[in-house]
This record gives sequence, C-alpha cells and structure tokens, in this order.
Amino acid sequence: MPTENASTEMEQRYAERLRRYTTAMRNEKPDMVPIRPFVAEFTAKYAGYTAQEVTQDYEKAFAAARKCAADFDWDAVVGNMVYGWSGLTQAIGLKYYAVPGVDLPPDTGFQYIEPPEEDAWMQPDEYDPLIEDPTGYLFNVWLPRVSNDVSPIGAPSSLRNNLSFLKGGMAMLDYFNGFGAQAALLRRESGTVSAISGILKAPFDIIADKLRGYKGLCMDTFRQPDKVLAACEAMAPHLLEVASGGADPEGNVPIGLWMHRGCVPFLSPDQFEKFFWPTLKWIIEELHKRGHQVLFYAEGEWNPNLKYIAELPDLSIVYHVDRGDIFEVHEALGHKFCISGGIPNDLLAFGTTDDVRDCCKRVIDGVARDGGYILDASAIMQDEPKIENIRAMTDFAREYGVY
Amino acid sequence: MSEQQKRGREPGVCVPWEEKRKELPEIAGDEEIVKRVWEQVDGFGYMYIWQCLVSF
Repeated sequence: MPTENASTEMEQRYAERLRRYTTAMRNEKPDMVPIRPFVAEFTAKYAGYTAQEVTQDYEKAFAAARKCAADFDWDAVVGNMVYGWSGLTQAIGLKYYAVPGVDLPPDTGFQYIEPPEEDAWMQPDEYDPLIEDPTGYLFNVWLPRVSNDVSPIGAPSSLRNNLSFLKGGMAMLDYFNGFGAQAALLRRESGTVSAISGILKAPFDIIADKLRGYKGLCMDTFRQPDKVLAACEAMAPHLLEVASGGADPEGNVPIGLWMHRGCVPFLSPDQFEKFFWPTLKWIIEELHKRGHQVLFYAEGEWNPNLKYIAELPDLSIVYHVDRGDIFEVHEALGHKFCISGGIPNDLLAFGTTDDVRDCCKRVIDGVARDGGYILDASAIMQDEPKIENIRAMTDFAREYGVY
Repeated sequence: MSEQQKRGREPGVCVPWEEKRKELPEIAGDEEIVKRVWEQVDGFGYMYIWQCLVSF
C-alpha cells in the first residue's frame, strides 16, 4: 500500500499532468509541452509480452500500459491501445479478425480482414434496409453474416447462437468495466491521465470498413451516390449516440475519432467534400455543443483537406498529424485547434536518438512555441519503435519543451 | 437533423417502450419506473451491436 505521502504526491502529479494536457488542448500554453504517446504493441515489447499475450489477455495489456506509464514521464496514455480484445471477438465468433498466435505469428499485431468485393458483409442492393433501420439491419443481417455463431433470421436458433450473445455481452461488460479500473490505477500508481474517452468513426469509414468494403463503397459512389449519402445520414445519429455514450462526463479528455480512408489517395478532396465530410462535420459539431472535444486522429496525408477541417468550430477538435507537413498544418489550423503528433514512426523505428532529438526540436520550435501542441508519434506505435528512441523523445521534450 | 435521419429505430433504442407497453397488462403501480428501467436496459442491447460495429 502506498504511504499517505506517496498517495498525495501521485495525486499532485496527476493534477499537474491533467492541467498540462487540458491547457494544451484548449490551445493555450501550459508549463511544458505535454507528452501523450499512442503506444499499442510497443507496450508489450517494453513489458516483455508477445503481441498474442496483450491481444488475448487484456489484463496483461493493461499491465503493460501501466508499466510504460510508470517508467516513462508521460502525461497521458490510452488505457489499452491494443483495443481489439480477442476474448470478446472470439466469444461473438467474429470472422474478420486475424488473431496473433492463432491466425498470425505470436509477435504480429492483430489484423482486420476485408472480404472479397463480391462477398462484402453488406451487398450493393441492401442500402434501403440499412437506411430505413440501421440498428435492425445490424442485428438481423450484418451480425449473422460476420459471426460464425449467430444464426440468420428465420433459421433455427442454436446453442452457439445463444452463447454468442450471452458471452459477447458479458465479455463486453467485463472489458469495458476494466477500463474504469485501469484509469484509476494509472492515476494512483503513476499519476498518469487516461488520454481519451469514447469512440467515434466517420459514417463513410464505417460503411467502408465493416459493411460494403472499401472497393465496393467506392464503386457505389459512382453507381448509386444518393444511396451512399443517405446511408451516411442514417448512420450519423447512431455514431453520435455511441460517441456521446462513452465521452468523459467532465469534458476533460477528448473522444477518439479514428480517421481511416477518407484522405488522399483513398478519396479525392472532391469525393471527401461530397460523401465523407458533411455527416462527420455534423457529428463533431453536435459533440462540441454538448461540451466534448474530439481527437481528430488523421492518420495518412490529410493536408489536401485542411480547408474543410478549418470549418469546424474553434477548439472542437485536437488535430493529430501523421504524414501531413505539420508546419503547414500549424499555419492553417494552429489558431483554431491544438495540434498533436508529427514525430515520424519510421524515424522512431530506424533513426538514431540524435535524429529523434533533432526532429522533436524542429517540431517544438515550429509549432509549439505558443502552446497548443502535444508531443506524440505520427501514428499509433506498434512494436516498431526502438525503446531508446522513445526514451530520447520523452527526455528531450522534458528538457527542451518547457515554457 | 434531416427527415431521413428521423426515420426508423431511434438512437439508443432496440425495442421501443411503446412496443413493449402493448405486451404488458395494466400497470397498477408506477408506470414511469417500468418505462425508465426498460429503456435503460434496452440501451445495453443497442450499445452492444453498435460497439461491435464501431469498436471491434
């Protein structure tokens, strides 16, 4: 048991880190540049687990994240970035996961499997039932197709069908409750803030990733564009509901918005403007009205779309930079939003510690001098970064990133 | 929200209370508590399918 002095010290550290993190997200200048690395399988590498272990045993994933938080001077981390717990996905019987140690080598991160275009989970003539009743479509059509165990509507039920719902529901409850306990442990053990709360994905991305497939949906934008637009509109209120349901009730930390294939080269800016943006913008604006920020995790090259992102209300998002030129981003959006990221993953994987320090200095000098910047890698860190480079990034930010 | 967005099952709902109410006899006690708890638990089912879609 920690002593009373140790508990007080940890609470003070937590309060200091929360203040630092939230100040930057309000696009203001805190005491120093916050550090909020999105580390996934990296935590396993650091803690001595395989990818299989952290994917199949979420308690090990939580422990690995806490070990990183304790050993590195980070302000905020995600409770578990190896998010797709295979205990749950196997309970439901989901077909579209490749699991490390089962379908993949034990040290390879889990994979999503997109079916061939002709076998898409949603067929091209099924837009109308999706649009009319998205929840009903998911239960009655989508779930039986993506699960090995769920019986199609009209077919005889089975023990495995019933167990899929029972075990899936209880496993989900167990896992989500675990995140609450993990947040408390991060706070108590290392004074670390849980970086995000809640989840959001763009309607177009969901339809591509989980329903029509990317190729199928792209063809639909030419063959039946009105249906695509209507489907995005039908999904949007539900995705808003999901995001709101998991949001931080105190409004301190943002909702994680995981952008996937809306940028060049997946969609042209014109296609983005017509199909992808209107409903996502509506959701972000609604969340902003409810007092929630969104972490706009823009993996890929999003700079051709910055003019659209600039339409969002001030402070409604924290904009994360992956492959875009972060200095251009700062010029276009820095007066409206806090920016995070911009330290390339390949540099952290293959560069020297001097290279990493030089990069951090350039980024801090270029975009962080007036506050409103959070240090992070460009994209979610799987097992590729060298531990010494993450150490160098952290230590340099603490030395150089003081206001 | 457009007219299209207002159709179909509302966000947060699997079996609307109005549909469930028809299955129940006359409620001798507090109907409001029955409704509130029905909607709360029904929301678990809603969250299950949408979290399957969005998170997993």
